Amino acid sequence: MTEPSLSFNRRDFLRGSFGVGAAAALAACGFSGDSATPSTSASASAAAPMAQAKVDGDLVYYNWADYCDPTVLSGFKEKYGVNIIEANYDGYAGMLAKIQAGNAYDVALPGARYVELMRKQGLIQKIDKSQLKNADQLFGWGSYFDNPWYDPNSDYSTPFSMWTTGIAYRKDKVTTASGTWQDLWNEQAKGHIYVLDEDDEALGMAALKLGLDVNTANPDDLAKIKDVLISQKPYLRAYSTDDINNLASGNAWIHHAWSGDFLNFINNTATDPENWVYELPTDGSPLNSDAWVIPANAPHPGTALLWLDWIMQPDNVEKNINYIAYPLLSKSGPDIYAKMAANYPSLEVDVSKVVNPTVYKNHNATDQAARNAVWTEVKAA
Amino acid sequence: MSLQVEDALVDATTEKRRSPTRTRLWGVLLAPPAIWMIVFFISSIAIVVMLSFGHVNDVGKAVFGFSLDNYKALADPVYLKVLLRSAMFAIATTVISLVLGYPVAYTIALHGGKYKNALVAFLVIPFFASYLIRMYAWSTLLADEGLVNQLLRDTGLTEGIRFLNTPGAVVAGLVYGSIVFMVLPIYASLERMDTALIEAGKDLYHSPLQTFFAVTVPATRAGMLGGVLLVFLPALGDFVSAQLLGGPSTYMIGNLIQQQFFEGHDQPLGSALTVVLMLALLVFMVFYLRATQRVNRET
Repeated sequence: MTEPSLSFNRRDFLRGSFGVGAAAALAACGFSGDSATPSTSASASAAAPMAQAKVDGDLVYYNWADYCDPTVLSGFKEKYGVNIIEANYDGYAGMLAKIQAGNAYDVALPGARYVELMRKQGLIQKIDKSQLKNADQLFGWGSYFDNPWYDPNSDYSTPFSMWTTGIAYRKDKVTTASGTWQDLWNEQAKGHIYVLDEDDEALGMAALKLGLDVNTANPDDLAKIKDVLISQKPYLRAYSTDDINNLASGNAWIHHAWSGDFLNFINNTATDPENWVYELPTDGSPLNSDAWVIPANAPHPGTALLWLDWIMQPDNVEKNINYIAYPLLSKSGPDIYAKMAANYPSLEVDVSKVVNPTVYKNHNATDQAARNAVWTEVKAA
Repeated sequence: MSLQVEDALVDATTEKRRSPTRTRLWGVLLAPPAIWMIVFFISSIAIVVMLSFGHVNDVGKAVFGFSLDNYKALADPVYLKVLLRSAMFAIATTVISLVLGYPVAYTIALHGGKYKNALVAFLVIPFFASYLIRMYAWSTLLADEGLVNQLLRDTGLTEGIRFLNTPGAVVAGLVYGSIVFMVLPIYASLERMDTALIEAGKDLYHSPLQTFFAVTVPATRAGMLGGVLLVFLPALGDFVSAQLLGGPSTYMIGNLIQQQFFEGHDQPLGSALTVVLMLALLVFMVFYLRATQRVNRET
């Protein structure tokens, strides 16, 4: 049996394909030369006309999984007669990578430092607050978020939720908690301890334990942080951000955890809520926030504005706080949350403390690479 | 174009030798897959290669460039360590898959009778659900307070076993995910094998075991090599198993690459790692091609 012969041989075909492929890559890819500096791209998006709040298509929605009450989503669909096309991420950096690669979403929910990054990269569009009927719920009553550090005047974002990072543990297994980050080195729970699988959280935790700045990029500091994190590995079960499931499965006796996830776990999943403690380490606790943005390439920015408005409507704020168990940053949000968390003083989230040294900040390329290298070495060790 | 196709068909039936028209037909038929490969495969590899010489600017954006810095950064022994660990996991996965998979393929091919096809179909059924979902299912079942450990505790034999977050769990996950890729090629080569050869081996006073190693194994070497390749290469680059079933010290090269892309904000470094991994895989690929050539020459 002979193969059909071709007038061009395989090698020519491959060579031709690769050449065209490389050209296609150059033409199509979302990366560019150094010319795309923050200033040019930011001014480009600022020059574009701002969207009007009216339905211009379905809502392409990008958020953490399960980080919004389903009835708030279905209510939006009914009210405006649109569909919601939902996509989820499991970390801010992954979300940023998708948007950088050109995937188009109408709304997304990055953490504060990612709002700043996306603004500087020209990835998000300016929001006309006059289009938002419920804007008075968020702004103009003396809220810190009238002019937050990551986005002057909240021009490009609307603040959503806030949380602390601390330690969750179960009382039946752990009786020797010290109330400091040293608890993530607890002998009783050796092999059952989880640390959040996020560079900022892990490096920040070690920094606080050592009495350093959570955002440090100083080589000596980073060397110490690396050593202390490697010294922790024998105590660990794994690195994971899936704190709710790790607590529920019984794999975790002690978990480096987010306040809202802990309360969510206590309210919805735990069979023995009294057995669990959330501790805010006395050597310092990170306090961070997130905000809604409309990407620059959003296909339906009008529907996106309607969503931002919908999500800050007081009844929806209440529904969402009850569902996700995080305090929301509107006028009514903190009180509703405070009632909910009344039994757990350690879960109190003081909005006025958002300007504090434990907020994760952005770094220049060299510093970011240095922090990244430490985290890589810790995880690979 | 339809005219050309007709021409080609006429040519194909009336003329045994190749003609320019006929090769044009093949060219036309090749165009869709070629475009597919160019758009989705070659261009993405080209981006990865180009990006591996780039860097990240101060606002965290990856930009192209012409620097070897990323490759120099890979000289850090930590990367070699992770690569070796990945290779160990992948080798263990391949060996276990071969040892477990061969008897399965053998039983189905030689003793499956009329159920042969049904049995092969059963092997493939778990693949209807995504690998990720199945990994999550395992991590739920095998959790410290999961179903399996509850049953174990109920028997009173043990206080429960820690299955998850160990190197063994990572390898088990890899074996589970890829064993069928070992079974199927071996099954195919056993199917093709003339069973009279086994009879002949026995006629020549070989014991069943001797016959197996002297006749059956050599006759299925091509299938085994195919299976080894299909299991080893994906296992070496896998990150799901280590992510969902692994512990603090089971990081694989795939996890490292994923971290650079999604967490480390350093896509150029991740690209350089990818290129190095691809080159390493290429070495195995060349080894495989040479080995199969030898098998083909011998048979």
